[in-house]
Amino acid sequence: MTIDTEKLIERLAATVEPVRPLARPWIRTAAWLLVAIPYVALVVFVVSPRADLISKASEWRYAIEQLAALATGITAATAAFATVIPGYDRKFLFLPALPLAIWLGSLGDGCVEDWIHFGPDGLSLRPDWFCFPAIVLVGAVPAIAMAVMLRRGAPLSPHTTTALGGLAAAGLGNFGLRLFHSQDASLMVLVWQVGTVFVLAAMAAWAGQYLLNWRSIIGTNRRSALTR
Amino acid sequence: MKRRSDDQALTTLMQAAQAGDAQAYVRLLKEITPRLRQIVRRQRSFVKAEDIEDLVQDILLSLHAVRATYDPQRPFMPWLIAITRNRLADAARRYSRRAAHEVQVENVPVTFSEKEPNMYSDEYRDPEALRQAIEDLSPAQRAAIEMLKLREMSLKEAAAARGTSIGALKVSVHRAMAALRKVLIKES
Repeated sequence: MTIDTEKLIERLAATVEPVRPLARPWIRTAAWLLVAIPYVALVVFVVSPRADLISKASEWRYAIEQLAALATGITAATAAFATVIPGYDRKFLFLPALPLAIWLGSLGDGCVEDWIHFGPDGLSLRPDWFCFPAIVLVGAVPAIAMAVMLRRGAPLSPHTTTALGGLAAAGLGNFGLRLFHSQDASLMVLVWQVGTVFVLAAMAAWAGQYLLNWRSIIGTNRRSALTR
Repeated sequence: MKRRSDDQALTTLMQAAQAGDAQAYVRLLKEITPRLRQIVRRQRSFVKAEDIEDLVQDILLSLHAVRATYDPQRPFMPWLIAITRNRLADAARRYSRRAAHEVQVENVPVTFSEKEPNMYSDEYRDPEALRQAIEDLSPAQRAAIEMLKLREMSLKEAAAARGTSIGALKVSVHRAMAALRKVLIKES
């Protein structure tokens, strides 16, 4: 810094404009869903929903897994929005834990049942590379909307924030995928779909340092304060 | 009790600042700056005074950048403390990253080990003797000294002007310097 603090204060005050305080995380999640859900629905209808969707929806395991995936996405989004508020309650970080545990638990239980009913054949693993691009496609707009919204906050813990944001978008992407992709074998879902969700969340966590950082946020203010 | 009313006053000022009130914003920033200085000094007692001021300014800039994240329904100080802690941790990470790439040298050499750069120019206090010594050099050596040392041309420029190679020029200037040193030291 080359100016004294008094001058910096005057220069910051000279540029102060009215700002709209960020809404609470739940409200921001609702706003995000307003963008994300119509897009997911659009993709599902463009790709065309699976033929057995109505009968599948009445199967409790499918319903639980879909609800858990959706709930994981929603709670991860809320947690992500909470992490960009200085002084947020750290309990928010554990919000996605319960739906995620239910989701993984149901799939794990499905694997055990498949083993009991079909033996080793019930746990056969085949390549299903379709899942990755499909989840990326369905989660793309939710991810972009999430990134834009997160950048309005404070980059307090960039990796955690973007990991949660990535989990939210990918969770929603997986929810959409299972509305048009007829792959219900628990192990296949666990490895290829949930695996993709975790890979995408990990990639988002890595990107956190580039997407959210103080340098880019205060850089403009610093330059204008030093040059005015 | 006083602290609570202070916090309430800061909360009110921040609410006004979010509404775009520049005067309230100046008051708020001036109010919190000594507190920030105190917090930074307490948590970074090993840091120099100017570095403390840098950290305080960094926190003020951060506060300014994310002032929309302040919830007017909540107290101001916990929000400010969260930003302060985060910025201090960030600065500590930056410092340790920088330190990991630095090579600590305790005795920085003030000059090179070779003989030539360690000669004191103070030894040549007689400009007339120096002029005469230069006059006595061979034409090639004199030209090299004039171009490289007096007119401060680059080796490339001097070589082009003389129509000679850089290597030959280096040899000429080296010999010229040796001759001058010999003559001038003998005279002094």
